[in-house]
Amino acid sequence: MEKLTQEEVLHVADLARIEVEAEKLEKYSVELKQLLNDIDKIKDVEVAEDEILVTPTHHFASMREKDKIRNEDFEMIRKNLPLSVGKFVSVPVVIKND
Amino acid sequence: MNDYQTTVGIEIHCELKTNAKMFSPAKNGYTKEANTNINEIDFAYPGVLPTINEEAVRLALKAAILLNCKINQTMYFDRKNYFYPDLPKGYQITQARTPIGVDGFLEIKLNEGTKKVRIHDIHIEEDTAKSIHHNNKTLLDFNRCGVPLIEIVTEADMHTSEEAKAYVRTLKELFFYEDISDCKIEEGSMRCDVNVSVSKTNALGTRTETKNVGSISSVGEVVEREAIRQIKKIESGNRIEEETRRYDEAKKETVLMRKKETGNDYRYFPDGDFPPLVLTEELIKEVTSSITLLPEERRKILENAGISEVNIEKIIANKTLCDYLLSLNTNLKIASNLLLGEIASYLNTHNKKLEETKLTKERLEYIVKKLETKEITNQVFKDILISLFESEKEIEEILKEAKKDTIDDDETLRSMIIKIIEDNEQSVEDYKNGKDRAVKFLMGQIMKSSKGKASPTLANALLIEELEHKK
Amino acid sequence: MTDYLRKPIKEIHELLKKKEIQPIDLVKECFERIEKNAELNAFITLNKEQAIEEAIALEQKEVDNLFFGIPIAIKDNIVTKDLRTTCASKMLENFVPIYDAEVVKNLKEKHMIIIGKTNMDEFAMGSTSRTSYFGAPINPWNRKKIAGGSSGGSASAVASRMIPLALGSDTGGSIRQPSSYTGIVGMKPTYGRVSRYGLVAFASSLDQIGPMTRNVEENAGLLNIIASYDEKDLTSAKKEPEDFTRLIGKSIQGMKIAVPNYFMSDIVSREIQEKIEEMIERLKNNGASISYIDIKHLEQAVTLYQIIGMGEASSNLARFDGIRYGYSEKNCTSVEELYKKSRAVGFGEEVKRRIMVGSYLLSGKNAKIYYDKALKIRKEMQKSFQEALAHYDFIIGPTTTTTAYNLDEEMNDVSKNFMDDVLVIPVNMAGLPALSLPVGFSKEHLPIGLHIIGNAFEEAKIYQLASFLEKELNLDLEGGASHE
Repeated sequence: MEKLTQEEVLHVADLARIEVEAEKLEKYSVELKQLLNDIDKIKDVEVAEDEILVTPTHHFASMREKDKIRNEDFEMIRKNLPLSVGKFVSVPVVIKND
Repeated sequence: MNDYQTTVGIEIHCELKTNAKMFSPAKNGYTKEANTNINEIDFAYPGVLPTINEEAVRLALKAAILLNCKINQTMYFDRKNYFYPDLPKGYQITQARTPIGVDGFLEIKLNEGTKKVRIHDIHIEEDTAKSIHHNNKTLLDFNRCGVPLIEIVTEADMHTSEEAKAYVRTLKELFFYEDISDCKIEEGSMRCDVNVSVSKTNALGTRTETKNVGSISSVGEVVEREAIRQIKKIESGNRIEEETRRYDEAKKETVLMRKKETGNDYRYFPDGDFPPLVLTEELIKEVTSSITLLPEERRKILENAGISEVNIEKIIANKTLCDYLLSLNTNLKIASNLLLGEIASYLNTHNKKLEETKLTKERLEYIVKKLETKEITNQVFKDILISLFESEKEIEEILKEAKKDTIDDDETLRSMIIKIIEDNEQSVEDYKNGKDRAVKFLMGQIMKSSKGKASPTLANALLIEELEHKK
Repeated sequence: MTDYLRKPIKEIHELLKKKEIQPIDLVKECFERIEKNAELNAFITLNKEQAIEEAIALEQKEVDNLFFGIPIAIKDNIVTKDLRTTCASKMLENFVPIYDAEVVKNLKEKHMIIIGKTNMDEFAMGSTSRTSYFGAPINPWNRKKIAGGSSGGSASAVASRMIPLALGSDTGGSIRQPSSYTGIVGMKPTYGRVSRYGLVAFASSLDQIGPMTRNVEENAGLLNIIASYDEKDLTSAKKEPEDFTRLIGKSIQGMKIAVPNYFMSDIVSREIQEKIEEMIERLKNNGASISYIDIKHLEQAVTLYQIIGMGEASSNLARFDGIRYGYSEKNCTSVEELYKKSRAVGFGEEVKRRIMVGSYLLSGKNAKIYYDKALKIRKEMQKSFQEALAHYDFIIGPTTTTTAYNLDEEMNDVSKNFMDDVLVIPVNMAGLPALSLPVGFSKEHLPIGLHIIGNAFEEAKIYQLASFLEKELNLDLEGGASHE
């Protein structure tokens, strides 16, 4: 297969929450397929190892002590907010309550 | 309709009672003002990283131990990816591969005995922000975002509303007593999702999930309503579909929220921000030994002390009271009566806490002892009640003053008793026939006519003497 | 224009100490150099006012360490409080961080002066820095050539001597490859050596911040400053502080060096192979032994990188949703629309492709087929590296398969830029430290880099070997700088 179907492109775009305009579908069909073809090579790799490597660290995770508390001032956060109402973050669109 | 079996599994989310959030050091606690217990981590700022709250891990571990789980001593964290405005990172950190506890059980008490509900797993995760829908706007408050959660998932082991309710009640009581969570279902610090299916065969039917059921009694109702709804649907030739529902408490019915989308794809994968977390034997031992008296063990102690079942439940329902009572070195039955009776009503009317009064533990133990040995009557206790709470005087002195009025001379008491015996011939007959009740009854009469002032020890002795004369 | 910044830092330090110059002199010279080299497009944001202010304030302070008052540039995916941090993306075009990355704190503690934020591939995704929303930085050795990526701006800035030092980040070679292309020294430290707190995550299990400098000693000196245990980063390693320069100048007699056959195979240009062979001979002549070995799965490194890198990226970049910061599309009628439009407009093509492919790789059954398998291969590869490094002091080879190529070359091949990093990616997979050292030039007079990989937490030894060769070769690496 040389390219993904338009449905497949739209599906991954939907998973990624990225709008793909109709005229770009063709481009993505080809490009994504090219990457996926590369990636597919992994299916042929033989591996004896059963353990997975999640992070290449050599230590175990430490834990944060009970009394360590650090709050940040909301005014700092507000500076980058696209939209706020009083001390709330306002979602730029209406969401229906379900 | 009776040939259907209902099957129930329950998922419970509990907010852990910790100082700080799970993966961020922002404060975890109730606050009125929006977005105060927050920092850049809760807002998923570019570049931030998670840390692990030790207190939360300890509480989760305690929960896992209490639920008799096998502990995963080497834990990883995973990401559950989905987009929603209340989920700032676009993923929730959870434990999909290595939940802290697996394969446990919780024993629940039922009318016909006990039952073990198997626990599939218990895992650590983080809460989302709160969305408030107001004036056509959606507002977000991140105070709750990142609060430590544990999710407890049962096997599909329950079959009746009674079992479902007993499971939730028992779990709630356990976690509340062990300070794991506030367990306030109404306020959302404990949230129940109830999975129900029905089937005529041994194979399980398709289940529906009713989310966020608002109280224990509603959990029972959901099981019943959902079973009826599903059976009706099947009987009318339809299939049950996997779906998410909610419970309308006013209408007493479950309502469809959404069909389980096939595309609901959480893209779980191990989170590279976490090296493995190892729970040492030492930590497990420490947490195990921090477990105090369990509610069931408390019930046993209270039962053995001769306290009525009704009172036991009243005591268990009030953890502060229960802790206090069990810390007393005295007759628990008498003490519990006082605590549930006169003491409770005094505190209620005066809107006070016990520790705000002069009634110390020592005072209370002293009084209970006196009541137990019948050195004082209930009437005396009632007379000195106010002084017990409010007087600075020594307890002995308070008692002495109260006892001034006690009728404890032989003559006066004996003549009173003789009169009572004459007035109650039937009781004398009963006594002759060996009925113990007669003494109790006559003592009651003596107390009544002496307005409670008769010395109980002396009156009892004289009464027996006089009755023996009649034989 | 003054010419202080061309001097070794040790000399600048002496001048500062003797009060012959002040930090402000360095800062002014630095901005002059940047202005003169504006066409290299190495910087996205300059910190001019603040830097001058800080430099003046430093006049009242005691010159207490080697890097006191020294200007430094920072890759624009490392957050700086109150200084715009864009990740070279429209998504963060106007984003001003509210906290300093841990490494930035470390620099400020030493009173280093942040001059500006350097250009890069958008969200560090690329190997040429051409995916930058602000246009590609240029290679000072040849202005038709790429500076490499993703830390191309830092590489260009140091190579042209606009600045003596810069920080980069390396997820799959993003420090070492541009360092190789531009003839500077770039170190990717051991995973966990430098705190990632404040590094905008691309692939969490691969990312590491590191120093990019004119020479080996200054590289080790800068690592001294940025390496620290950070309790805010669980992957940060708790290590005793050490001086990474301590082995510089020591003999390499008796050192055992391995060369993986794959690193010298025909994927590498003949010219580069020859240069590396020349280095191998030199090392042998100085008492080191060379063995040719095989490391498992080197051929699959790019595939692993694509799966793990894109998988992690798809999740790490989910936070850019138009709600809390960053680009937010106006007038949407649903949250879905807000997400999809903000991300479609805010992200560039490379980033979007990687997020989409990453999402696909993690979805449903794919997580097992691709992701789990990649993590197992990664483990096996790491073990293979560990076995080799139990026997050998170093693994070496070329940093890149070719020298820097033309800015307009192979723009449309979505796979090509991954192949640029085929030799450097395995190091990120295994979490090892590795350095690229300029060791010569191509016929076109473009720099060639030697890749030195060491055992975990043995950066000091890498500097020992690198400084030995640096001294031996004594190359003129100033060709990238435009002189008067």
